[in-house]
Amino acid sequence: MSSNDILDMYIYETNTLLEQLENIVLDAEKENTFSQDNVTEIFRIMHTIKGSSAMMEFDTLAQVSHRIEDLFFIIRENTMEVVSEENRPALFDLMLHSVDYFREEMEKVEAEQPLNKDVDSFLANINTLIAKIKGEEPPAAAAPAPPPAAEPAPPPAEAAPQADEGNPDFPYQLRVFFDDGCGMENLRAYMLVTSIQGFCAESDFLYEPADVEQDASTAEQIIDNGFLLEFKNPEDRESAIPTVRTSGSVRSYQPHDYVPAPPQAVMPEPAETTPPPPSAVKTAKPAPASAPAAANNPNNAQHQKESLISVNLSKLDALSAIVGEIVITESMVTSSPDLKGLHLDAFSKSARQLRKLTDELQDVSMSLRMIPVSNTFQKMNRIVRDMCKKLNKQVKLTLVGENTEVDKTIVDSIGDPIMHMVRNSMDHGIEENVQDRINAGKDPVGEILLSAQDTGSEVIIQISDDGGGVNDEAVLAKAIRNGIASPDVEYSHKEILNFLMAPGFSTNAQVTEFSGRGVGMDVVKSGVESLGGSVTITSEQGQGMTTIMRIPLTMAIMDGMEVSVGDSIFTIPINNVRSSLKITEKDILHDSVNGEMVKLMDSYYPVIRAREFYNLPGGADNVEDGILMWLESGDISYCLFVDELLGEHQIVVKPLPTYVNNFDVKSYGITGCSILGDGSISIILDAKGLYAAAHIM
Amino acid sequence: MSAMKEDVLFQVQDDDLFLTDEDTVESRKYLIFVVDDLRIGLDAEYVVEILNGYTVTYLPMMPDYIRGIFNMRGQIIPMMDIRLRLGKAPLEEGNLLVVVNYNNTHLGILVDAVELMLDIPNELIMPIPAQSAQKLVSGMCSLPDGSGTMLVLDCDQLLHE
Repeated sequence: MSSNDILDMYIYETNTLLEQLENIVLDAEKENTFSQDNVTEIFRIMHTIKGSSAMMEFDTLAQVSHRIEDLFFIIRENTMEVVSEENRPALFDLMLHSVDYFREEMEKVEAEQPLNKDVDSFLANINTLIAKIKGEEPPAAAAPAPPPAAEPAPPPAEAAPQADEGNPDFPYQLRVFFDDGCGMENLRAYMLVTSIQGFCAESDFLYEPADVEQDASTAEQIIDNGFLLEFKNPEDRESAIPTVRTSGSVRSYQPHDYVPAPPQAVMPEPAETTPPPPSAVKTAKPAPASAPAAANNPNNAQHQKESLISVNLSKLDALSAIVGEIVITESMVTSSPDLKGLHLDAFSKSARQLRKLTDELQDVSMSLRMIPVSNTFQKMNRIVRDMCKKLNKQVKLTLVGENTEVDKTIVDSIGDPIMHMVRNSMDHGIEENVQDRINAGKDPVGEILLSAQDTGSEVIIQISDDGGGVNDEAVLAKAIRNGIASPDVEYSHKEILNFLMAPGFSTNAQVTEFSGRGVGMDVVKSGVESLGGSVTITSEQGQGMTTIMRIPLTMAIMDGMEVSVGDSIFTIPINNVRSSLKITEKDILHDSVNGEMVKLMDSYYPVIRAREFYNLPGGADNVEDGILMWLESGDISYCLFVDELLGEHQIVVKPLPTYVNNFDVKSYGITGCSILGDGSISIILDAKGLYAAAHIM
Repeated sequence: MSAMKEDVLFQVQDDDLFLTDEDTVESRKYLIFVVDDLRIGLDAEYVVEILNGYTVTYLPMMPDYIRGIFNMRGQIIPMMDIRLRLGKAPLEEGNLLVVVNYNNTHLGILVDAVELMLDIPNELIMPIPAQSAQKLVSGMCSLPDGSGTMLVLDCDQLLHE
């Protein structure tokens, strides 16, 4: 594993943990408390981030996570009751801030930029909160008290080593374990103390049990719990370590700080012989030392995670490419012309079986690329929460159908459009004034509904709010002002809504932090259309607005209409094809600039001849010899003249070779290609790009 | 002669195993192919395979020297007629392709014939004289067997200009 792989792994893992953390915090905020499970989970997350950051030598990250871990250690030991009501908002804010902080730093790590070195103010924030929480801590909780699950065998007062055992004035601890059965552990410990006194003032360190010199029974405690040294200064502890190491019969030792941390320093003995870090010991049975602290707090999420593996997307791409090949090859073999006229019963039977298996294989390989939209949806929780605070609105976000599965590439690209629409609803949709809502007979708390639904061929994502809805007059006035609409024309409600998606349209006069950056819904529209989908808006004044995005489930497989021009075969996405028709020469009308048009259903549509446009070597020139494909994409509609309609097929989309992309064929409406059943290649056309190119020329 | 050559070959392979830095490799292998009256050497490192017989699909809106794209075991690869690229008349009956992979860009080069694979010490490769700078050529050398001159193909130029 190269260092880059390790770094990738680290970034991936940390980001996953941050996502988990954010969700926990957002959910907890609604309840206004962290459940004990949450606290344990956050503790575990911070612990992992701390450990891996320290391993990657991102010290600032390790520091911050360490402090947060401290914070949650206090909460874990004393339950959420330790945080008083007034401190809770600060705690939630702090946690969300830290998620943002880590995310930012992760981006820097990814971009190989230097990290933000100045974390002092952030650490100070955490420390202040810790102090606040501690200030209200009942004294009983601060004193070393055995956790409920203490080991029953030894005297309860000195039970299992407790993580909160210690003295804040002597925070640097060193726990020493002696060899099994070496005897006289108390005296050995005392000898250790004497040798440490050689370089460290007696007032600068403590040890526990304290009366090792006189009381022989302390030997048993030391066997069970080790001998605890507590230093005032970290330097003293550092210098004590060599002494401890060279003392006879020392089996192992663990330095750790008062607020517990896993063993960070060297362990002279193999890990197996090392007892678990004290902080991890919650139960009587010691866990294997190699396991992280979290191993003692198993939870379901972790078990679930173990049944999942993360795979590089390029491997999945390669897999689907190969499976596509197998499907094609299979049909090449079974329908081979060599087999014509032969009666091969056994062969046909095996061939059918093979067909069935390849179909299954194709389904499985496709399903590998499908992931639920829940992650994208969950992110909106945070946006709604932040905007509620900023805009002082009360809105709840309802998620429906988060488990709908969509192709990974699509999930990645619908995030921005969805976020844009949610922000839009928050900013412009939900009423500024709560009274307005009450007057309109609505719930004072606004609602944004985000839903996903799988229809088998496409996924429908719907974002609706119950806000003020679209004001037709205001939109029209703005559209006229921006020159999108003409003042003399009467527009229908639907047409006015479409202005919202015109480039450069933003009804909010003010540019806010969240929306109205001059780019508006046109970005949403073009984003969704680039995925092969469509956007529609419906709105009822006073009742809110609904945006519906229809997106194909996967981009890798597409239904297309195959047409031929000369020897070339083109595939047109089926949702661009309106119909196909045969016409005669006299149906063609000519315009002043030598363009051709055809009249269909009382409207005129331009005709583009594929052969001429692409300078193809062969193809029909005579209109009667070919066929017109009536194509539509968004608001454009035209006819493409081709030779022959070959039929509708499901194709596996392949990108064009990188070298070809240098020549910018995309701007001529050529978006990709696909391998046909006989191994030949068809070129995928994009109706919109073709039209645009034809009209520039 | 042939025994000696084998010796050299073996040594180069050894070098390849341990020394990957270009400066330390003293000779490189070249695939020599014929285009019109030229013999062109292509660094064997970039050669994926040599194909004979394929179906090319015409891709519109490309320069004339790109004949189209073809399907090599599921991989779509553009095909360049190097005669047209060098400004020569195209061959009517050419169907021999050298498939190259240069920094992960795949390209099929249509050539007249493929001659042989040869080790050429780096010091034998001369820069091209400035006054007769050739298109797409980064150097030249006389072939050790005295049969003529080989031009070294500049893949970078081939793909990016």
